[in-house]
Amino acid sequence: MVNQSPEYLFGQWLDNALTEDERSAFEALCVSDEDFAARVATATQLNVAAEQFSAPPMPAWDKNATFIAPDKPKWWQWQGLPAVSMAMSAAAMVMVMSGFSMQVEDGRVTMGFGQSVPKGPTEAEVAALVADRINHYQQANQAMFTQYVNALQQQQQESSTQLAQYLLKSSRQERREDFAELVQFINQQRDDDQRYYARQLTHLQREINAMDDGYTAVTE
Amino acid sequence: MFEKRDEQLIEQALKGNKKAWFALIKRYETGIYQYGIRMTGTPHDAADLMQDIFIAVFKSLSNFRGDGSFKAWLYRIAHFRCIEFYRRKRPDTPLEDSEELSCERPTPEHSLMSDITSQSLTHAMQRLPLAQRAVIELKFFGQFTFEEIAEQLGLSSNTVKSRLYSALSKLKLDLEVEHG
Repeated sequence: MVNQSPEYLFGQWLDNALTEDERSAFEALCVSDEDFAARVATATQLNVAAEQFSAPPMPAWDKNATFIAPDKPKWWQWQGLPAVSMAMSAAAMVMVMSGFSMQVEDGRVTMGFGQSVPKGPTEAEVAALVADRINHYQQANQAMFTQYVNALQQQQQESSTQLAQYLLKSSRQERREDFAELVQFINQQRDDDQRYYARQLTHLQREINAMDDGYTAVTE
Repeated sequence: MFEKRDEQLIEQALKGNKKAWFALIKRYETGIYQYGIRMTGTPHDAADLMQDIFIAVFKSLSNFRGDGSFKAWLYRIAHFRCIEFYRRKRPDTPLEDSEELSCERPTPEHSLMSDITSQSLTHAMQRLPLAQRAVIELKFFGQFTFEEIAEQLGLSSNTVKSRLYSALSKLKLDLEVEHG
């Protein structure tokens, strides 16, 4: 049985889904119903208009405004954070309940479970420890001062010895130089005396020679 | 060179790829702009509506599940944005089947349109109520089936056919008036 409803037939025609019987009914309706035929004509006209539709050119529009960049999740919004937090809490609970302890001694880390945490020293122990440390410190200081004084004394002694040796050495040198000058002076005096006596002898010899010449003349 | 499918572009756009989003816009902007012209009657309003539509599409992009075609989903959003556009323009006016939403007088911006037939058609469509105009738009210009239109508009298929049938009768008279 063919649905003779104009709206139905019209819809089927537009969807291009008419059967043979519906097509016959549709064509019959186009012939008999002017109003229906006019609608078909308008639809055809619209199809053509749709294909040939020309709009004004696309305006320049702000496409960037349509793009809303997704926010990058902040580090505290990291999805793994609750899981990590939960794991840390669980670990902390296990450590507390199992008596976990950790010791750092002389650069070594010791960890263990079920160990009692060592108690700290008492006040008296601390005082004794402090007194011992102070005593040790004083002894060390005393020893250091003694060593320092000894070193100073030794240095002073060495300096005095060096000074005395220097003085002796320098005075000996001066005396030697004085004697040398004295000997040189005496030698010089002797040279002068010898020259004086030589001149005197020469003079005496001349006088003798002169006397000898006079005597010879008288005798002749 | 192969073009990426809409779904691929959407996936990339959702990851913050601006280029993919612009490629998607480029694919549909002409159709949406022409839809805007036929639904609003003026290039200026069409441009506003187009921007409005693409903003709404981007915001809802993560809701697209790929059940149907992206084009159908896009035009569904376009229809809602168009209704919203008219609601903003005339807040006190009921939207469905309202004659008040039709534009009786062509604006000077119509003269920008190059083709006289297109111009006449756009004028004639402005005289239709929004609901009928939407059906005409989606059927003849969007090339959707009645089932798709019904799904997009949230109506039954028979209602869509009935609206189209009524709209064509009115449109025929208006086109005759336009052509003198």
